[in-house]
Amino acid sequence: MFTKVLVANRGEIALRIIRACQELGIKSVAVYSDADAQAPHVREADEAVHIGPAASSESYLRGERIVEAAKQVGAEAIHPGYGFLSEREWFARLVRDSGLVFIGPPAEAIAAMGSKTSARQLAIKAGVPVVPGTTEPLRDAEEAAEIAKTFGYPILLKAAAGGGGKGMRVVREAKDLAASLDAAKREAKNAFGDDAVYVEKYIEGPRHVEIQIIADQHGTVLSLGERECSVQRRHQKMIEEAPSVAVSPELRRRMGETAVAAARAAGYVNAGTCEFLLDKNGDFYFLEMNTRLQVEHPVTELVTGIDLVQWQIRVAAGEKLPFPDEIQPRGWAIECRITSEDPANGFLPSTGRIEYLHLPAGPGVRWDGGVESGSTVGLHYDPMLAKLIVWAATRDQAVARMHRALKELTIVGIETSREFHLRVMEDAEFQRGDIEIQWLERRLPELVTPKAPRDSVRAAAIAAALLADRDRHTRRPGAAGANRGNGGASRVDAPLSGADAWVIAGRREGLR
Amino acid sequence: MKYIVDVNGERLEVDLDADGVRVDGAHVQAHLADVEGTPIQLVTIGSEMHRVAVRRGDARGRYALWMDGYRYEVEALDERMRTIRDLTNASAAASGPRPLVAPMPGLIVRVTVRPGDSVEAGQGLVVMEAMKMENELRTTTAGVVKNVLIQPGVAVEKGALLVEFE
Repeated sequence: MFTKVLVANRGEIALRIIRACQELGIKSVAVYSDADAQAPHVREADEAVHIGPAASSESYLRGERIVEAAKQVGAEAIHPGYGFLSEREWFARLVRDSGLVFIGPPAEAIAAMGSKTSARQLAIKAGVPVVPGTTEPLRDAEEAAEIAKTFGYPILLKAAAGGGGKGMRVVREAKDLAASLDAAKREAKNAFGDDAVYVEKYIEGPRHVEIQIIADQHGTVLSLGERECSVQRRHQKMIEEAPSVAVSPELRRRMGETAVAAARAAGYVNAGTCEFLLDKNGDFYFLEMNTRLQVEHPVTELVTGIDLVQWQIRVAAGEKLPFPDEIQPRGWAIECRITSEDPANGFLPSTGRIEYLHLPAGPGVRWDGGVESGSTVGLHYDPMLAKLIVWAATRDQAVARMHRALKELTIVGIETSREFHLRVMEDAEFQRGDIEIQWLERRLPELVTPKAPRDSVRAAAIAAALLADRDRHTRRPGAAGANRGNGGASRVDAPLSGADAWVIAGRREGLR
Repeated sequence: MKYIVDVNGERLEVDLDADGVRVDGAHVQAHLADVEGTPIQLVTIGSEMHRVAVRRGDARGRYALWMDGYRYEVEALDERMRTIRDLTNASAAASGPRPLVAPMPGLIVRVTVRPGDSVEAGQGLVVMEAMKMENELRTTTAGVVKNVLIQPGVAVEKGALLVEFE
C-alpha cells in the first residue's frame, strides 16, 4: 500500500479522496491555486503544495508541475479525481513514466475510450450494442436514405465535430431528409468549420443509465450495478440515483455483462463507467466510457456498501477485489448536485461569499462538499459546490428523505440549486420515476417558477412586514449600522461618502 | 402600523400591532427573533415556526427570503412609502425598460439583437460565457433596442452595460 498520495484536484472531490486516504492510513497531499489557499481540501490534507495562479490552465491543468510536486513531497501515487487531468492520456503516461502510480486506468485504456469513434469501434468489436448508424461522414442525401432504410425512421443527423446540440437534426420521414441534411451540414460548417455529418437511429425518450465497473490488476472486472442519470439540463446531470426504476435484475445482469465486456476490450483497470441509452423496450445502447471516478459515485457506494475511492487506491496498489461476481443493490440512494447557479434566473452562475452554511443531518444523509461558511465562490471553477446524497430502504422513502434534507440545508450568501431540487422531489412524475433524458428540459419552466402554497405566501408576507418594521426602528438611512451583523444582512452599501442625506435617501428609495 | 407587502407579484396587507399581525381579516400572534450566532431569523406565527434566511435588497423594504423551501422576492412598505414607490415605478416604467447589464464577468459569445429590433419580455438578447457555460441573458420587459454596446468576443465585467432600449 502507498504511504503518501497526491490529490490532483480541488473542491468536494479532493476532500472526498483525502478522507479516503485518511481512513486507509495514507498521508494525503493537496495541490492548490492562488484562489484556493484557504480551501477546505488544503486544510484537511496532511501536506499541500501551491501550483500556480487561479486559472486552471495555469494550476490544476499543469500536469508537469503536479508530477514535480508529487516527487518533491515523496508521494508514490496521484489521484486525479474527475475533470481536470483525469481523462488526459498524456498525464496518465507522464505519471507512469515518472515512476509514480496513476490512480486510474492505464493510459492505453484512456486512449482507447477517449474518442467517441474509437470507443464505438471497440464496443462493436466486443459485441456491445451501439446506436445503429455510420462512423464515416455522409456523402449525400442518397447515401443517408440508403442507411436510414436499414434501421428505419426517425433518424438523427449529427455533426462529427459537434456537441451541445449544435448541428443535430431529427428526421422523422424520408421526404425531409435532403433538406435536413443540408441544414445540418450548414450548421456544422458554421459552428465547427467542419461539415462532416453522421447519421444514426434516433432513440425516442431514452433514459441515461450507466454501469459502474471496477477492475483489479489480476483480471477481475466487476459490475457494481447501474445509476439512473436521466435528470439532465443541457447534457449536465443534476440528479442521479441507484438503482433505476427501469432496470430489472435480469436487465441489470445483461447491462453489467456488457459493460464488463467493454472494459475488458479496453484493457481496463480501476473504476470506470459505461454510459448507455435505455429505451422504452428495455433495449440499451452503449454511448461512451468515462475512464475516471464519476461525480455521482456515492449513490453506488450507498447501495453496494463498497467505498469506491478506497478501492481505487487499493486496486492501484495491486490489491485483489474480494467481492462476489454478482452484487445486488440494497435500498435506494439519490444524489442532488448543489451548484452555485440561480435556477430562477436561467441557471446563471452566482458568485459571492457563503456567509452561513447549515448542513442537513440525521439518518441516511451524506454531504460531500468542498465549501464552508466563509468560502468564496468565484468564476474560476465549476459551479458544483457539493453533493447531497441520501439513502433509504425504498425509492419513495429516499425521495422523502431527500426532500427533508434539502429543507434543512441552508446556504446564505449565494444562490444555489436547492429550491430547484426541492421542486423536483415534490414532482409527481419524478416521484413515479417517470423520467427520461428530455424530461427536465420539458418540465424546467414550471419547476423554476413554482407557485408557493397560499399559507406559505402569507407567512412570507408576515415575515417581510416584521423585518421591515424592525428595520424601521433600527436603521436610519446612511447610518453606519445599516449593515447590522445579526440581521442576515448581506447588503453592501455603495460608497456614499460625501453624498448628502437627500442623495442617500433618494437612492434608497430608488429615485434616480 | 400597516404594511403593504408584495410577495412574488401578489399584494397582501399586513397590519402590525403590539402583539401580532392582522392579515386576511384574522389576527394572529407573530414575532421575529434572531437565532444566536447565525444570520437566520426565527419567525413565529401563532404556533407555527419558520426558519428564515434573509438578504436585504437594493431598496428599503426589499428582501429575498428563503423560507419553507421557497425563495421569495418581497417588498414590505408602509402606506406612505408604498404610494411613493408605486409612483416612482410608474415613472420608471414610462421612461422605458431597464437596460441589460452583465450579471457576472464573462465573455460575450453571441448577440441576437440589433438596434431597432423590437423585443418581448423574456426574450434572449445576449449569450455570455462564464464558468465554461453559455448563459442566455434575457430582458425582463418588452421594448425597442436602441444601442448594442458589445460584440462577440468581448470580455465584460459584472455590471457592464450591454444593451440599451429606446
